[in-house]
Amino acid sequence: MSNTGHIDRRGLMIGAAVSATAMSLGPASGPALADDYPTRAITVINPFPPGGAADVVARPFASVVETIVKQPMVIETKAGAAGAVGAQFAANARPDGYTLLMHIVSISGFAEVDRLFGRKPKFTRDDFIPIARLIADPCVLVVNDQQPYKTLQEFMDDARKRPNALIFSSSGLYGALHLPMALFLKAAGLQVRHLPTAGGGPAVTALIGNNSQALVSSIAAASGQMKAGRVRPLACFGATRAASLPDVPTMKELGFDIEYYLWVGLFAPKGTPDAVVTKLRDVTRETVRTDAFEKAMKNIGQDVAYLDQAEFKTFWDADARRIEDAVRSIGKVEG
Amino acid sequence: MEATIDSLLLGFSVALRPDVLLYAFVGCLVGTLVGMLPGIGPLAGISILLPVTFGLDATKAIVMLAGIYYGSQYGGSTTSILMRIPGEAASVMTCIDGYAMTRRGRGGAALCIAAVGSFVAGTFGVIMLTLVAPPLGAFALRFGPPEFTALLVLGLVFLAYMSATSLVRTLLMASVGLMLGMIGIDVMTGHFRWAFDIPELGDGIGIVPVAVGLFGLGEILSTPSRTVTTAVVAPRFRELLPSRAEWREAAAPIGRGSVLGFLVGIIPGSAHIISSFLSYALERRLSKTPEAFGHGAVAGVAGPESANNAASTGAFVPMLALGLPTGPVTAVLMAALLIHGIPPGPQLVTEHPNVFWGFVASMYVGNLMLLALNLPLVGLFVSVLRIPYAYLYPLIVMFCIVGVYEVNHSIVDVWIMLAMGVVGWLLRKFDFDPAPLVLGLVIAPILEMSLRQSLVMSNGHWTIFVQRPIAAVLLALCAVLLALSAASLLRRRRDWRARLAAEEAGEQA
Repeated sequence: MSNTGHIDRRGLMIGAAVSATAMSLGPASGPALADDYPTRAITVINPFPPGGAADVVARPFASVVETIVKQPMVIETKAGAAGAVGAQFAANARPDGYTLLMHIVSISGFAEVDRLFGRKPKFTRDDFIPIARLIADPCVLVVNDQQPYKTLQEFMDDARKRPNALIFSSSGLYGALHLPMALFLKAAGLQVRHLPTAGGGPAVTALIGNNSQALVSSIAAASGQMKAGRVRPLACFGATRAASLPDVPTMKELGFDIEYYLWVGLFAPKGTPDAVVTKLRDVTRETVRTDAFEKAMKNIGQDVAYLDQAEFKTFWDADARRIEDAVRSIGKVEG
Repeated sequence: MEATIDSLLLGFSVALRPDVLLYAFVGCLVGTLVGMLPGIGPLAGISILLPVTFGLDATKAIVMLAGIYYGSQYGGSTTSILMRIPGEAASVMTCIDGYAMTRRGRGGAALCIAAVGSFVAGTFGVIMLTLVAPPLGAFALRFGPPEFTALLVLGLVFLAYMSATSLVRTLLMASVGLMLGMIGIDVMTGHFRWAFDIPELGDGIGIVPVAVGLFGLGEILSTPSRTVTTAVVAPRFRELLPSRAEWREAAAPIGRGSVLGFLVGIIPGSAHIISSFLSYALERRLSKTPEAFGHGAVAGVAGPESANNAASTGAFVPMLALGLPTGPVTAVLMAALLIHGIPPGPQLVTEHPNVFWGFVASMYVGNLMLLALNLPLVGLFVSVLRIPYAYLYPLIVMFCIVGVYEVNHSIVDVWIMLAMGVVGWLLRKFDFDPAPLVLGLVIAPILEMSLRQSLVMSNGHWTIFVQRPIAAVLLALCAVLLALSAASLLRRRRDWRARLAAEEAGEQA
């Protein structure tokens, strides 16, 4: 038995119609009124790969928000170009409160990098309304266990003695782990070579394998390796010492006026109605105070560092100036 | 050794609890489905199900998510063999000889061999993981950028064995792939290259849309222009099973694929993608009948399918022993552990022995489950081919579009896939083989990155590639392979590649 012949048109049309129907059965979207917001699912854009810094905060956040607003909150991953793709998507989304953005510290740098290259920025900080900061993890400068340095001073002395001999790794050029190192190197006047990698994980791998000697990492990401003694913390980037690293001095104590946090915040596109923004702020405030959210943040090694819109705005403005400064100090890299 | 056995017994006491077994089974089942659906690979599958695990304890969560990962390597072979649609990047090589076997009516046999090969490789991988994870983890760390560069150069040398067409056509396709791989942000300087102001192109062209487009859509588009013969209509059970001769042909490639895949899999930096390409080339290099490849060689299915399974298990070595991710999938698995309050790191095994050994033991069980799940389904899967193409193909196109969109929620990816479908159709018309193109696209960005990273490390001195022993050995191997080819060329011995070129010339005349 064998079935021979060309595909006939009628059969093809039926098959195609079935497929087309199945694809168009998406959620219908009606007009949104600010008063009874939200009346349908809210989408939160995660601009990084699954399991990344914004994702691990957004998912527990969404699961608590859902219980408060009685509507689903969906995390949609739009990763690409180190977070620029997702941010641009959110900036251009309809400002009705149904598309939000969970982004990190690096959101401030994209426009400055574009300016550096003479490109027209695809979006700027003004395209977003800050709603709240959820966590803020101070970064830590670590060296691997094959290096002799016990203090930041020893590291600096060696780096000064052998300019361009030491190497630091990062999550990528102008990335969230490149910027704090650039701030420090500029302040200390050191020449250390940069080894960009494809993300936070590969950056740690390069350090452990001694393909780089130093790295600025978030405390949470480095804690396992610090506990195992594979990497040694030399200095923290927080305003005060971190509770989990009481013996590690801050950059400020060591004489550098540098602060840098890997923070995660919630944003709405510019033009979102005030009533919706107010509602989102109320919901967020309620969410971060729940035990469920606090416990979820404990699990990923974080404390809730909530800032409501006004304080977040002040913090973000100051933070963005530091970031833009860092981008300019890196400048254009000659390849 | 005794301590290992004790620990493993502890692990099995966890893994064999009914509730943990259930989640392992769900993971394996979802993984099989995810692998079969074109476009949706293990990464998308795991991220979709990550929120579901919030309510579970850490052991169940990791057992289920890992099941999706290695289960998808089983499922990936099904659509590749039956319909020439790679479920994900690792099964591209299976498309070639697997689909050729289907057209000869040996689709069932190819599926059986793929399932058994996957089982052998998966189990081999877990045994190695149990016995020698810590020293292997230390070895994996010695693979820095220079070693990785050398490995990829070896992959490029192997390109010559990659295709059933002549060397000229193979290299032409590979060059196109390498050029496509240059699209995206320059990782060292931040310049956009060939992105035409489309931010989605900043990370380059994805492998999945290209592979699904070139192979799957290309095949579907070329179907209406030729007379279709569905030979497999009512397969008898006996015909589904591989013959004795086919088993004999498959045995050695499965063994080699397992070892090669595992070794490549433990290297940090997404090396596991190239494991199936390397295995295919190795089998062809060793084969006495290299010209049979591309026309349904059993070794061309057995080797790569085993290699990608062993590689996915090997990828757990750095994750479990060192707390370091080898690629995006292991990064998500580590995040899953983190969300459950278990920071992955070198101390995972001492601080959370239940999770660690329960997870390892669950992989022994999971591989058995997958074999039991996949073998009886072979008959069912083959029957899918009985659906008339007029109904089947529009559905497949739909699955391709949904699957490719789902990976990054990017409509640009869908357009890339559709455009590649047309390219794939043209390539088929003109008898070009798309596999070298895909390999070029896979290798270009990671080769560029590791090469330039190496030069940053050496401050611009190329000597770094001969000073580091592993890199030097790999490069020496490349040189030997090239020298052997050159020698046969000088002696004017016409090898199989020359015969292929002559055949192509003859066709055109």
